[in-house]
Amino acid sequence: MASVAELKAAIDIALQQIGDGQAAVQAASEKLAEAQQTLAGALEGSGHETVEAAQASLTQASQELEECLAATLTAVEQAELYVSSL
Amino acid sequence: MSIVEDLGAQIRATSEELPVALILQALEKLGLAAERLRWVRQESSNPMGVPELSAATEHAESAGHALRVAQEQLSSYLAAIGLAPDTGRQPAGDRRQPKHDAPRPDAAPETPVESEPRETPSVRRWWSVRVAELTGHAEGPPGEPDEQVTDAGELLRRVAEGVRSGDRDRLHRELDRAHADVGLGMAAVTPPLLRDLATDLLGHPPRAQDLDRLRSDLDPKVRDLLPGLPPAALEMLLTRICRMPPPKQPDKPEERPHPADAAVTSGVLTGLLLDRLGRDLPERQESDG
Repeated sequence: MASVAELKAAIDIALQQIGDGQAAVQAASEKLAEAQQTLAGALEGSGHETVEAAQASLTQASQELEECLAATLTAVEQAELYVSSL
Repeated sequence: MSIVEDLGAQIRATSEELPVALILQALEKLGLAAERLRWVRQESSNPMGVPELSAATEHAESAGHALRVAQEQLSSYLAAIGLAPDTGRQPAGDRRQPKHDAPRPDAAPETPVESEPRETPSVRRWWSVRVAELTGHAEGPPGEPDEQVTDAGELLRRVAEGVRSGDRDRLHRELDRAHADVGLGMAAVTPPLLRDLATDLLGHPPRAQDLDRLRSDLDPKVRDLLPGLPPAALEMLLTRICRMPPPKQPDKPEERPHPADAAVTSGVLTGLLLDRLGRDLPERQESDG
């Protein structure tokens, strides 16, 4: 039979793993923003359709990462709320 | 170096430095967290953030897919302006990649000639290499990605057919052709299905007492199809099906399961259970992904 302390400990570990995931997502977002800037400079003046498509894909990736981060923040709130109710 | 070569090198380096590895790392961490929370909440009606975590995982997977698409588009652009997709140059800056994303030791030299561009982007290679290791095809070259397999549901259907045929070569081909993000997606779509199928096999919802039976029923066939699978990966999946606490992970990072292991094993296990029950994949799973 698990105790409340064990339950809290298990959720704490999950929260830590989410934190690690958030850090990786944030780092990815920063690196992606740098890449977008670099490409914007290098490809300025290009009207090639694959360039526009690539930039759109990068923008989409950036948005997905933002939404990923937002979802993890809500997940953390939910988990912490549950822990506080134990 | 000409101006166009300089431009090409800059674009190529930026493309190769897109943070695919970081996204895979995030997916791994979020997956572990979700797994733990699922175990904690299994008898609770409180969602504890698990649905939000699933949504986060989907967004991260989509981001990874978008990056891969961008890499292919940039590669096409380079080809369109007369530059080979990859001349083997090492991009500037930090090239930290997870161990599983490293090139094969026996792969072609890193400096291919101009007429033989490297066609396998690193984002796909790690998946392909791991699939080969799991299925015992470590010596074979990776196949071409199948662009028709765009979602995990379709891949799961193909894997299930491969499992049913009992043909390990076919299973290897189906998995090898998938892009990494599609392959990893199998780990996200299979958990409820695995639980339902195991329930039908046992005649009741799987519980801790059923672990030995499931292991003895399924382990030999999984070993046949995935001879390179670490035992811990199957054990992890079976304990999850039985709603048991996850087994303790090895302390050493190099001994921990590869991110692809859970996805591949869950696909194979789904195929085995379907075969045992004489069923096909439900329509819902074929369209999900």
